[in-house]
Amino acid sequence: MLEVRNVHKSFGDNEILKGVDLKVEKGDIIVILGPSGSGKTTLLRCINFLERAEKGTMDFDDIHTEFKTASRHQINAIRKRTGFVFQNYNLFANKTALQNVTEGLTVARKVPKQEADARAKEALDRVGLSDRYDYYPSQLSGGQQQRVGIARAIAVNPEVILFDEPTSALDPELVGEVLNVMKALARDGATMIVVTHEMGFAQDVASRVVFMSEGTVVEQGAPKEIFRAPKDPRTAQFLRRILRDDYEYSI
Amino acid sequence: MHINTEFMAETFLASLGGIPVTLEITLVTLLISVPPAFFMALARQRRKGIGSRLASAYVSFIRGTPVVLQILFLYSLLPSLLNYLFTQVMSLQVNVFKWNTILYAFIVFSLNTTAVLSEVFRSALSTVEHGQMEGALSVGLSRRQAYARIILPQALVSALPNICNATVNLLKSTSLAFMMTVQDITAIAKVRAAYGYNYIEAYLVVLVVYILLCTVVQLLFKAVERYLSSYKKLIAA
Repeated sequence: MLEVRNVHKSFGDNEILKGVDLKVEKGDIIVILGPSGSGKTTLLRCINFLERAEKGTMDFDDIHTEFKTASRHQINAIRKRTGFVFQNYNLFANKTALQNVTEGLTVARKVPKQEADARAKEALDRVGLSDRYDYYPSQLSGGQQQRVGIARAIAVNPEVILFDEPTSALDPELVGEVLNVMKALARDGATMIVVTHEMGFAQDVASRVVFMSEGTVVEQGAPKEIFRAPKDPRTAQFLRRILRDDYEYSI
Repeated sequence: MHINTEFMAETFLASLGGIPVTLEITLVTLLISVPPAFFMALARQRRKGIGSRLASAYVSFIRGTPVVLQILFLYSLLPSLLNYLFTQVMSLQVNVFKWNTILYAFIVFSLNTTAVLSEVFRSALSTVEHGQMEGALSVGLSRRQAYARIILPQALVSALPNICNATVNLLKSTSLAFMMTVQDITAIAKVRAAYGYNYIEAYLVVLVVYILLCTVVQLLFKAVERYLSSYKKLIAA
């Protein structure tokens, strides 16, 4: 359904992505792991054209495009068929929770207001915010804001939802509510690409784990294979460090 | 010193007649200045390109010259320049010397206010996080829609105090329009003062009129600000 090949992206002299390939089928839950600076987030942002990759191609259903030469029309078509959940939520500060969700429907997709409201309410209900329709982002907790972010992404019925470290900015006690929403989405058959440091989520929910390091995909496979028997020493080292941190640190 | 209160009362009433002119210059100037100031702010936000450099040069030029000098310069230069342009270059039957001099006031103050407002807008745009634009793009909005619906409404809230400042400054500097023979509040009072050398009284009156006007402007802006920033004030109790 979605396939990117040979993605290259640099910031100045710093080469972040050095030829990444990724293939996603309908219903896949891809979790991308890797140390910080490995290019996970950049890859995700390139797929949604929030960053412009210098090289590489993308196939999204019937859309075939080169990252470098993609037209505004193609970019908009791809964005309309994807949802993006940001680390910092990026909710519209001047809109209520409901308006945050309807904005992409009424303005970008010309859905009539009544239908948009109904769909937005349904999306907010799915993330457990039926009692927060008219709250502004500043009135919501981080976890609630991120759930609005997820509702905003799913309300447009995207073919794939991209999650960029959706729980990294949250207080620890709020991480669970967001992960639960994501797990429910996964059960309902959503196609998701998730960049995260939540190993538990990767183990329980991922259909495939992709391990990235220094701008390349080092290895990928079912979570069981990756977690139990990583083939690449870099994967093994990363997992050792993360899993040890998970269990041994308590400040 | 003798204060002629009767004169003051009469001058007060007479100078009220100048308020429409003062407000007209202020409002027309704002209307003319806002669009170019906005696009200059957008150009300067990009930080590169010819547009940004031109805008930046324009702002430093206007900032670096006194308003009085701009008025003197344009008021003596512009009529003959326009006359030459219309009659010689375009062979039109136009007599620019018969034009209402308020037109020159519009031009001078607009040139000035455009520069001031472009800086106001630039700083206001930079208060809106880049994530707001990314959020808008990610749900399928175009850049233009993102600006119109997400970025500008937020930028406007933080710009309002500075826009108020710029408006009040503009309103006060329209008093210099008397130099272009425009009959505004100041000009009316000055002319009346000249009859019997009642300058002190006249200036006192003008002072009060401007304070009143500026207070009204500030109250209006306060009200608008309160209305537009309602989304910020509603922090959960």
